Amino acid sequence: MIYIKNLLKNLGDFSLEDINLDVQDGEYFVLLGPTGAGKSVLIECIAGLHKPEKGEIWINGRNATGLTPEEREVSYVPQDYALFPFLTVKENIEFGMKIKKYSKFEINQGLKKMVNLLEIENITHRNPSTLSGGESQRVAVARALAVKPKLLLLDEPLSALDPRTKQALWIELKRIHRELKVTTIHVTHNFEEAISLGDRIGVMNEGKIVQIGTPDEIFRKPKSMFVAEFVGADNLFKGICTSKIEDETSRVSINGVSMDVFAAAKKDGECYVSIRPEDIVLSKEICKCYVDMNMLKGKITEIQDKGILIKVVVDAGIQLSVLLTRRACLEKELSKGDSVYVIFKAMDVHLF
Amino acid sequence: MFKGIFGERVFKAATLATLIFFVLFFTGIIISIIFYTNPGEVLKILFSAEVLFAIKLSLITATITAVISIIIGIPAAYAISKTEFRGKSVVDTILDLPIVVSPIALGAALLVFFNTPAGIAIEEHGIKFVFVVSGIILAQFTVVSALFIRLMKSSFDSINPRYEDVARTLGCSKFQAFFKVTLPLAKNGIISAGILTWARAIGEFGATVTLAGATAMKTETLPIAIFLSLATADVEKAMTVILILVCIAMIALIAIRKAVGRGWLI
Repeated sequence: MIYIKNLLKNLGDFSLEDINLDVQDGEYFVLLGPTGAGKSVLIECIAGLHKPEKGEIWINGRNATGLTPEEREVSYVPQDYALFPFLTVKENIEFGMKIKKYSKFEINQGLKKMVNLLEIENITHRNPSTLSGGESQRVAVARALAVKPKLLLLDEPLSALDPRTKQALWIELKRIHRELKVTTIHVTHNFEEAISLGDRIGVMNEGKIVQIGTPDEIFRKPKSMFVAEFVGADNLFKGICTSKIEDETSRVSINGVSMDVFAAAKKDGECYVSIRPEDIVLSKEICKCYVDMNMLKGKITEIQDKGILIKVVVDAGIQLSVLLTRRACLEKELSKGDSVYVIFKAMDVHLF
Repeated sequence: MFKGIFGERVFKAATLATLIFFVLFFTGIIISIIFYTNPGEVLKILFSAEVLFAIKLSLITATITAVISIIIGIPAAYAISKTEFRGKSVVDTILDLPIVVSPIALGAALLVFFNTPAGIAIEEHGIKFVFVVSGIILAQFTVVSALFIRLMKSSFDSINPRYEDVARTLGCSKFQAFFKVTLPLAKNGIISAGILTWARAIGEFGATVTLAGATAMKTETLPIAIFLSLATADVEKAMTVILILVCIAMIALIAIRKAVGRGWLI
């Protein structure tokens, strides 16, 4: 298990502050955030490449804060892979095993295992400079895993690749993780990547971890405006919240439009709400709604074709984006200028 | 001024013309030396005891100087390239001094140093430097070692620190990372900087003549041989030695290109 407590790292004009994080054994943890959020600095601290000013890093029950990188048993794959250009692919993979004085037999076994796992049998004799981006990535991961690390750190491993290779390697990374169960921390600025790979996600901004949760929690219940905007919440509004006494719902008023919001905790005053576009239903007829449903009347101002999905923008006093399947859109015969009812559950409105 | 295609052509012609002037200027100088000498005489002088001595002395001293520069210069260059410390810019400037300051001044400074109590102690109880062969090596080292460090620094600067980082996480100690990763990455840089330093040491005159003196058949390197022949108006001999120096320089430069395998370094 990886355990980070009150970590502080000052790098002049940038600093990591008050980082608290724990990653379970075998977990695939994704650090998500925009460029300059401090994700790379954080994993470099974990790898031992930066010495933090304050705080502790524990790796598998051992305080690793003062240990040098070679004492930590943490493998690191940098963004540019840094394959040794003076060694072949095979020698790159063997490098760590040789340094760690594995026996000849173990080195051969390790090499075979990695080469099979990453499906790079046919490139082992090649020089790194001749490899494609995807191949380099596989070799870098193979080199990192060959030394059987307790923790694997991947710094934006897919950002330099074209979209198709990227998709293929997502699947690969997932498969490799399933097979080896090695605890992994993966840094990315791509939310889709985070969602499809991470068991849990830690969102970082300006040197701080602003939210940790499962992909679903981050996606549906962003705890701050930053997280909501970063994960691309479309319907994000600022409003005034008043708690009701009788049940667990609150009433939020946004520019004169009010809606019921399910809130576990009371929150009065200024607040943000977000509603995921796919959680909203459109109807041309008024519907007999349940108590915990919100219904707003509006006019369609825009219909955008997004491929599989159609995005409909409705002006109901507030601008709401709604995602519909192509079929639902056709069946409902929606067109620009139509009056429609916008319906969504109080449960689906996220308050923060 | 000169817009369009016409302007492009004028610009190209003007820059190329200066380049051609430059090349003609240097080849002209060398050709004039060749015309001045006659081949039979050159061969006779080339195999004279004094010139053979000068060639041998120059090759030996320059090689020792280059080796010492490499051994001391690699770690020093690494430190200035990769380590952050206070007063780094001061150190950087001090390293540039020997490159900029006239070699004769450096030689004179060395001579003065060996007249201080510390210098006298070294002369009496350690190695003698003034007016002997070891003085040639010290003089050459003083002039060229900073050049080696400067060249190596830019070589280390261009090495991505990620290589060492990755090596460390794969189990390398700092020493192992340096020897197994950084040095192989810097190999071409070391070879070309080493050869350039060696060639520069062969040509060193100012500091050498001041510290080691110009004694025929004793501290007579190739540049000192030129100096001695010109002083005695032995022009044929001077020209022969100049040709030898030009040949050595050409060989060194070709060797660098061969070793590095690419033309970008020089």
